[in-house]
Amino acid sequence: MSDALVSGIRSAGYEVLAASSAEEGFFMVHSGQPDLLLLDLTLPHRNGLDVLRQIRKEGLDLRVLILTSHNTVDDRVEGLRSGADDYLGKPFSFPELLARMDALLRRFLPPSPAAFTVGDLSINPKLRTVCRAGVELDLTPREFDLLLYLAENSGRTVSREMLAKDVWREVSRYTPIDNVIDVQVARLRRKIDDPFAVKLLQTVRGMGFSLREP
Amino acid sequence: MTLALASTSLRIRLTLWYVGVLALLLIVYASVVFAFQYVVLTRQLYHDEVQDVITVEGLLFFDESGNLQLRQDYYSRPQSQSLVDRFLEVRDLGGRILYSSTTLHGMPLGGSLAPGEGDKGFDERIERLNDGSHVFAVSHIHSLQGRTVIIRLGYDLAPLRARMFQFFMLLVIAIPLALLLAAIAGQAIARRALRPLERMTARAERITASNLSDRLEVANEHDELGHMARVFNHLLQRLQQAFQQLQRFTADASHELRTPLAAIRTISEVALEKSAHTEAYREALGNVLEESGRLNQTIDSLLLLAKAESAPPENFQQGFIFLDLMTEIIILLEVLGEESGVRITEVHPELAAVEVRGDRGLIRIALMNVLHNALKFSPEGSTITIAFNRPSASSLQITIQDQGPGIAAGEHAKVFERFFTSNGLTSANGGVGLGLSIAKLIIERAGGSIWFDEDFHQGAKCVINLAL
Repeated sequence: MSDALVSGIRSAGYEVLAASSAEEGFFMVHSGQPDLLLLDLTLPHRNGLDVLRQIRKEGLDLRVLILTSHNTVDDRVEGLRSGADDYLGKPFSFPELLARMDALLRRFLPPSPAAFTVGDLSINPKLRTVCRAGVELDLTPREFDLLLYLAENSGRTVSREMLAKDVWREVSRYTPIDNVIDVQVARLRRKIDDPFAVKLLQTVRGMGFSLREP
Repeated sequence: MTLALASTSLRIRLTLWYVGVLALLLIVYASVVFAFQYVVLTRQLYHDEVQDVITVEGLLFFDESGNLQLRQDYYSRPQSQSLVDRFLEVRDLGGRILYSSTTLHGMPLGGSLAPGEGDKGFDERIERLNDGSHVFAVSHIHSLQGRTVIIRLGYDLAPLRARMFQFFMLLVIAIPLALLLAAIAGQAIARRALRPLERMTARAERITASNLSDRLEVANEHDELGHMARVFNHLLQRLQQAFQQLQRFTADASHELRTPLAAIRTISEVALEKSAHTEAYREALGNVLEESGRLNQTIDSLLLLAKAESAPPENFQQGFIFLDLMTEIIILLEVLGEESGVRITEVHPELAAVEVRGDRGLIRIALMNVLHNALKFSPEGSTITIAFNRPSASSLQITIQDQGPGIAAGEHAKVFERFFTSNGLTSANGGVGLGLSIAKLIIERAGGSIWFDEDFHQGAKCVINLAL
């Protein structure tokens, strides 16, 4: 698990160090001064939350994203109260992990641009308009939200969990929601891709969807 | 004492209480009898003394020399005189002793005259003689040959007291003996009364997970122990049902979890076996991800079931407007029907503008599952009708009716079973076979009911009753 995460995050362009115990991780946090800590709560010998509390007590400036299989509301609250910036329950989709990491690190970066462009597709979030090859496309509000979210995460794969949570604002993901997402993506694809030769909205099997130039 | 008692067995405690109460009662009873006996005997003595005084009055006379004498000639035998054990003393009004019976051995019977002694009645009292013995005495004024004398007559109290002491000793010996017998009897009765309890305990101890079908025997269903046994049996029955459900569920769940796991394994093994090119690997990995997604969905659904099963009742205190929820769900899901031209129509939606009590989040999932099910089986261009009805002031009925193939005969109840999939259907219809069981559990937990109408043949008609 740890190896896969390290190689995945590394290929996303981050510098990563992995620690196999709480003590080692604690040492690395001090010596390496990272921007972000991915903390698995089920650590050997020591509770991950203790590590987190100690880090916060020492006032170290870093973002903490908790990974855990104890995925209930209480655990979430407990984690956030202990000083975590975000919380991700196992099993999570890797794209979602990357998106969360980006979001946490983006707090240092300037706000999102006024318009998104992917190939010849341009999206204006303020006016809620979409043009492709100079032609304005007519989207329903839901389709627009979906497209905007895909554009914000452009170049990256967006999972169904992320869409259910961030676009449909559903607390959790159930079979009906999955079907709804698939249908909406299909309709969106028909509007933005079908009339054109270059397909921008890709389905990544088993993972989700991605808006990018092929 | 209380602590020590509490730690002993119920049988011993019962017996101790029984004996204790009996002892108290016996002591009170014996005291009353003792006192009564004493009073009766004293009255008898008084009565005898009064009789004696009257007799003595008739026997007293002054002889020629002026000495007071008691006539002796009525004794039939001289030795009879020695049987007389009464004390007799006669004084004149000045207190001088005129006559003293031999039984007194020269001792005075009481002190000097009390004012008005023996004037009226007989002045009963207890006197103490010089030799220490106690005498129950009476006095009476008597006029004799022109002179007034006071007759004092008494009996020694020793015989009476000896009798009372014997009586007391009798009680002292008899009461503990009675208590001992009562304790033995009480112990036996308590043991007999508690024997069914012991049998039940022994039986209950033998009941484990493997023989949950065993029941306690109910000897007499109308007495307290019988009642307890029945209550216990009901508890066992519920436990057994829960246990069976759990067992069946575990078996089903492991099967359902194993299926995608097996698929993942096979896909991976096949992909590794054939030294295929990148595209084949991508395909295999995509398949693996899809299967793991299915696995994850099953686990999520199982967790949801567990959550709905253990939802605390206080969650159901808040209410929400049902129509708002239904509209929300229709807006969310109607896109699924748009592709194939399936329309959703509502009949009497105004009847649903009422507050329903329950966990909104859970009921939302339940309704979503039912409507999703209807959408899944709706043929192109058909209509789903959602009708609202108020069968009573305190309930809301929702019927969701599609024009699909309907439910096969005999499967109307089975569709709610966990992991049920009809023969004609494959997993291509989506879901993990838990949607309707989740819906049923949630609706029933909220105090409602859900079923498919068996008499409806133009599709499937799901009826949901919710308490308001």
